[in-house]
Amino acid sequence: MTEEKINALRQKDANLRDALRLDEMERPQMPADLNARLMQRMAAPSPSPRIRKIWPWLAAACVAAFIVVLVAPPKGAPTGEPKAMAKVEQPATVEPQPREPQAAAPSETTTPTADKAPAKSPRQLHKAVAPQPVTSQPVDAEPLLAQTPAPAETFVTVQTDNHQMTTLTERDIPITRPENYQYTAEELALMKKQANEAYLKWVELELEISKCNLEQTAQKGD
Amino acid sequence: MKTETDIDLIRGLRQQSARAQQQMLERYGNEVFAQVARLVPGLENAEEVYQDVFVKVFRKIEMYDAAKSSLKTWLLRIAYNESISFLRHKSMPVIYYEDREGEAERLSESEVEATFGQPNPETVQLIRAALKHLPPDERAIVTMFYYEEMSLKEIAFVTESIPTTVASKLSRTRKKLCKIIKMLQS
Repeated sequence: MTEEKINALRQKDANLRDALRLDEMERPQMPADLNARLMQRMAAPSPSPRIRKIWPWLAAACVAAFIVVLVAPPKGAPTGEPKAMAKVEQPATVEPQPREPQAAAPSETTTPTADKAPAKSPRQLHKAVAPQPVTSQPVDAEPLLAQTPAPAETFVTVQTDNHQMTTLTERDIPITRPENYQYTAEELALMKKQANEAYLKWVELELEISKCNLEQTAQKGD
Repeated sequence: MKTETDIDLIRGLRQQSARAQQQMLERYGNEVFAQVARLVPGLENAEEVYQDVFVKVFRKIEMYDAAKSSLKTWLLRIAYNESISFLRHKSMPVIYYEDREGEAERLSESEVEATFGQPNPETVQLIRAALKHLPPDERAIVTMFYYEEMSLKEIAFVTESIPTTVASKLSRTRKKLCKIIKMLQS
């Protein structure tokens, strides 16, 4: 229906207009004091809404996330290698570190590789390589106990007494040897034995505690 | 069109002048209240919505664009929206006739014109009774058109619609009213 037709209806529909006029006349009038109440409401100080500023928290979270991303190591990077690298970097000052107690206990049964390695201190190495100014890789021919392949060797240059340059590898330091990261069969057997003994002791202790409890209960009952 | 005094009024409102606010209430308060009372049942509810409308108007006067509508139409639009929002929010029970089977649409134009056009006090009373069976938004549109004598464009602005939609709504509402009257007569 066009606008003209609709506008014409406004004049034609007299009954509808009259009905609406009567309806509007009967509609409740606006209370006289409503505007005054409204003005009072406007004049009254509105309770300030508690605004929580979230942007500082967001910024802090972003910075924290950035730092985590920056500091965290890449996914594929091996965790052991950087440590070994760090120790190799200062061969002149590094003292030969003893193996961990668990791993060191069955040292009598270890293979020649494990025996040879701790015996060589950096000073000895230093002496050993002194007469041979050429680059040496002393442990290359040794058989590996571990099945895992050795990590890429890091070469460290050492200055000898004669001011001749010698290159040491990562393998020259026992603690960095991959085969020493693995437990030998004897070590594993010993650990199992110790664990079994500890378990038996624990069971015995539990039994004793139970006995004591029973006795105490019996005494209270009497 | 807005008058010189409307311009002053808007300037005063933008400065949050209490005098301008008072002046606005005096000038447009009744019309806004009528619009609200048309849509919202109950005097208390109407008062609440009325206050909300003007609080909103005073706080958001910066949003008024004189190029788009007159101040009165803008006020009526806010009143309409607040009322509809109030009805939805309070989920107030509103009972009205719904032409589900399209019976009203089948009525001929001559039949509708005969009902509304020929002056008859009895028909006027029937129309008043029928108006109560219309949904609030349709009743508001009919009142704005026939009683407030607003143009289709103005009604479209108030209801956030377009003039052609308002025209078709009006036509449908007329037929619906006619159908209700016939039902009441039978």
